Amino acid sequence: MAQDYTEWLAINVLNDQQLVSYRSLSRALKVHSNLAKQMLFDFHRKQNAKKPGTVHATYLITGTKRKATPITDGTQSQEHGEDTVMQSSPLLPSSSAAKPEEEDVDTILLQTVMLVKEEHLEKAQVTFESITGMHIYSLQANGLGDIQALTECNRKIAVDYASEDPLEIWKQYGTIQNPNVKRRTQRRQPPPPAPAPAKDAAPKAKLVSTTSKPAVLKKEGSKDSQDSKPASKPTSAKATPEPSKKPPMNKRQGSDIFKSFAKGKTKAQAAQESQESVVSTPKAAPEDEPMGGFSDEDEADEVEAAVVEDDSTVVNGKSKKDREAELQAMMNQEDEVMEDAAEDSPEIAEPDADEGAIDKPDSQAADEPKETVQVENGRIRGRRRVMRKKTVKDEDGYLVTKEEAAWESFSEDEPAPKKIKVPPTTSMNKPAAAAAGKKSAKPGQGNIMSFFSKK
Amino acid sequence: MAISDGDSELLQAPSDDKNEILNRTASTYTPLDSYALQKGQYSHQYASLYFVRLAQLKPAVEAIASEAWANFTIGSETATRKDRVLDVRQGELCWVAGTVYMEMPLKPNVLEDIGKEHWIAAPPSRHKYDEGTNALAENGERGAHAGGQKGLVGTQIMLEDESGRLRLTGDYLNGGLLVTGAIVAVVGTENSDGDFEVLDLRVPDLPRQPQRWETEDGDAALAGKRTTKKRGKAGKVAIVSGLGISGVEGDTLALDLLMEYLLGESTDSASQDQAADISRLIIAGNSLANASPIPSRSELAAAHSTTKKGGRKTYGYDSSAYNSAPTDRLDQWLAQLLPSIPITLLPGDQDPTSTALPQQPIHAAMFPHSRAYMSPPSAPEAEGPGWFHTTTNPSEFSVDGWRFHGTGGQPVDDVYKYLPDCEERLEMMEAMLRWRLMAPTAPDTLWCRPVEGEDGFVLKECPHVYFVGNQPKFETNVVEGPVGQEVRIISVPAFKESGEVIVLDLETLVPEVVKFEVFDEG
Repeated sequence: MAQDYTEWLAINVLNDQQLVSYRSLSRALKVHSNLAKQMLFDFHRKQNAKKPGTVHATYLITGTKRKATPITDGTQSQEHGEDTVMQSSPLLPSSSAAKPEEEDVDTILLQTVMLVKEEHLEKAQVTFESITGMHIYSLQANGLGDIQALTECNRKIAVDYASEDPLEIWKQYGTIQNPNVKRRTQRRQPPPPAPAPAKDAAPKAKLVSTTSKPAVLKKEGSKDSQDSKPASKPTSAKATPEPSKKPPMNKRQGSDIFKSFAKGKTKAQAAQESQESVVSTPKAAPEDEPMGGFSDEDEADEVEAAVVEDDSTVVNGKSKKDREAELQAMMNQEDEVMEDAAEDSPEIAEPDADEGAIDKPDSQAADEPKETVQVENGRIRGRRRVMRKKTVKDEDGYLVTKEEAAWESFSEDEPAPKKIKVPPTTSMNKPAAAAAGKKSAKPGQGNIMSFFSKK
Repeated sequence: MAISDGDSELLQAPSDDKNEILNRTASTYTPLDSYALQKGQYSHQYASLYFVRLAQLKPAVEAIASEAWANFTIGSETATRKDRVLDVRQGELCWVAGTVYMEMPLKPNVLEDIGKEHWIAAPPSRHKYDEGTNALAENGERGAHAGGQKGLVGTQIMLEDESGRLRLTGDYLNGGLLVTGAIVAVVGTENSDGDFEVLDLRVPDLPRQPQRWETEDGDAALAGKRTTKKRGKAGKVAIVSGLGISGVEGDTLALDLLMEYLLGESTDSASQDQAADISRLIIAGNSLANASPIPSRSELAAAHSTTKKGGRKTYGYDSSAYNSAPTDRLDQWLAQLLPSIPITLLPGDQDPTSTALPQQPIHAAMFPHSRAYMSPPSAPEAEGPGWFHTTTNPSEFSVDGWRFHGTGGQPVDDVYKYLPDCEERLEMMEAMLRWRLMAPTAPDTLWCRPVEGEDGFVLKECPHVYFVGNQPKFETNVVEGPVGQEVRIISVPAFKESGEVIVLDLETLVPEVVKFEVFDEG
């Protein structure tokens, strides 16, 4: 025990250069405050005997100061006289001004408790008329710059030892005990370290809880514990539970967000999305086209576009048949856009092969100079003339778009060639369009499950 | 420099002496809810407050006056009593009772405020209501207009009751302490100007003082039971005010010293024994510094003029400006004291509670840690007050049988503003006791609530101890009453400035002061 404190003080004061007050020492070593003060004194004396000036101290002096300025109050005798005069009349300010400054008999006792750094100790002692007590308040390795820094000691104690139950633990520190303390048990979390003595030591708390309606107290207890959950933790640690709550929250939210972008949405997500997007249904239609346009240029947005389109398609599929019709129209529109896009892209994709591009329509044109229509098996087949756009790079490096006539074969079963055409052209671009194509391949189903059955 | 033997005990190597655990003296505490309010307080007119007050105090003052002036003769004429203020006749010697009203040039006047708000910058505030332009400008009052020299020049004193007003004159008034709202009886005659010349003046004086322990034993006595209970020797009570915790300032070391002293951890064992004798701590107002969100006039002007946030005016309360550090600090400080000592907390003018008197107790929500020591709001009344008792301002309670009456300082500060050339706070406190009014200047210049039934600020029973917080310095005195009452009046200084705590011995009612300071090299 004797060695402990020397060690502890050596570590904290000398090595860690911390400010140690007698209270911090008493809390750390679980000793009485007076004993802690003695320990501080002993350590201070020994260290300074070894090497002077290593440890600095602040002292707390209690006593009666010399009367530099008298306390201005009335002595009993004088006031008695004044009182009888002024008993039933308004007070006269002139008489009060006549109070003498110096009092011979000072009936008011003034004690001073003064904190002083060791370098000023003698000067401070001189100002005292009589000193009733003096002890070391704190120790530090270097000189104390700002004496206000000592508030740090108490603040640290409040933080470090906040979990201690004062009614239990503080007895060993030498705090004045009060057997009549009434305290409510309002905390639900970490129960006090010694629950049995806690019950004995706080009979009043129990009395309080039993005399009042237990239901009410419980309700309040639970309410208070919820309220005091953040409060019961020390303020510095208050920050930690809150941020720890936040990251999991964020993570969960994050996963929600990302799920919505994933392919193969779950039903729940879809339901959620649909609830949200029911509101934004009118926006879904125009969104299709711009989304489609974007996806041409930026394949990175492929997934998003696909999902948004999926959303919109899912929404549309879920809603009524008129929306289905809208969808049809939209799909058709998309087809056109896709078509042009599809045709543009392979040509754009070959900017270098100008001749190749130019050659193609020429060959096509050469192959089928005539428009013919044949009828066989209920199908009208033939060749027809169609205007096509050709983008050509001319000698200056400019891309020039020309409209030229071209021949293509067609048959009566109009949807078939178009659809067959669409998948092969779009499959190299976007699987989403393929999905859209597949969706449009079965317009009659009007059922969201059709979308999932393929997957 | 005499160092007594006691000091060496702690300046030595750790000894194996058993350090004793001290137990604190107990105290019996009975609060009175004289100032607790019911709901729906603002539905009445303020003017009725004066009539009610007059009705309550008129009998008392007339009794005294009739006794004093029964044979008041000048020449051959005897003073006759007049019922109403307007009944006085010219040339007739008579006496009448009414309410004093002081018309002072620099008193805050609402109509002037409204008129001048728009086109004149607020003039520098006045220390007292009748100071001239060469007075010290101090923060506090609003809307005064310049004019008037020192003294009561420019001030008009009137006596008022239900019938009307009567202007008072006479040299007698120059020496007196009078504020608006005091109920007095004056004897004199009406002169040719129509003013009443005052020859003498009487106040209601102190009311009846209950015996010690009357609050606790009174009910039992009425029921005829034995009232002599064995009571132990009473300890002491510590009174402090103006802690001024602001959460940002760095000079809170004195607060820590105070806490350690009260807990009995600091100082030597002799002082610790003394500290163990302190059975209760009373905090009389202003525990927080400037916690009120109501901006002062200068702050409002700054907010309107500068382009803050792009010139947008922020209406209402800006909740982002809330800083919880002061209340946290106060709560922590209280929570460290509560396991050892019971505390009574009165609010002050800077505390987060209502501004109008009587201020209601600071809500338990402000004290998450200390809340455990308060009695739950649903607890039955029979259980008594909590260990940590937040109470009203002003407040009346009984500690160890003695009746305590205290305020956070606002009434006395307001009375101070009315009195020219008078700096004696103790005299004002004494005057307030003799007028039997805790807040005489309410509702004239002191914010209060309108009441219907009775004026809550009228003193019905004389306290044994009357303390007022947040005063410039510590002063104390004993006031004697006509039937042997004795009141110890204490003006408690603000701890933030002075570092003083008043420790009142409950057996003798003699205070002592303990001062906490940090040695200043300068």
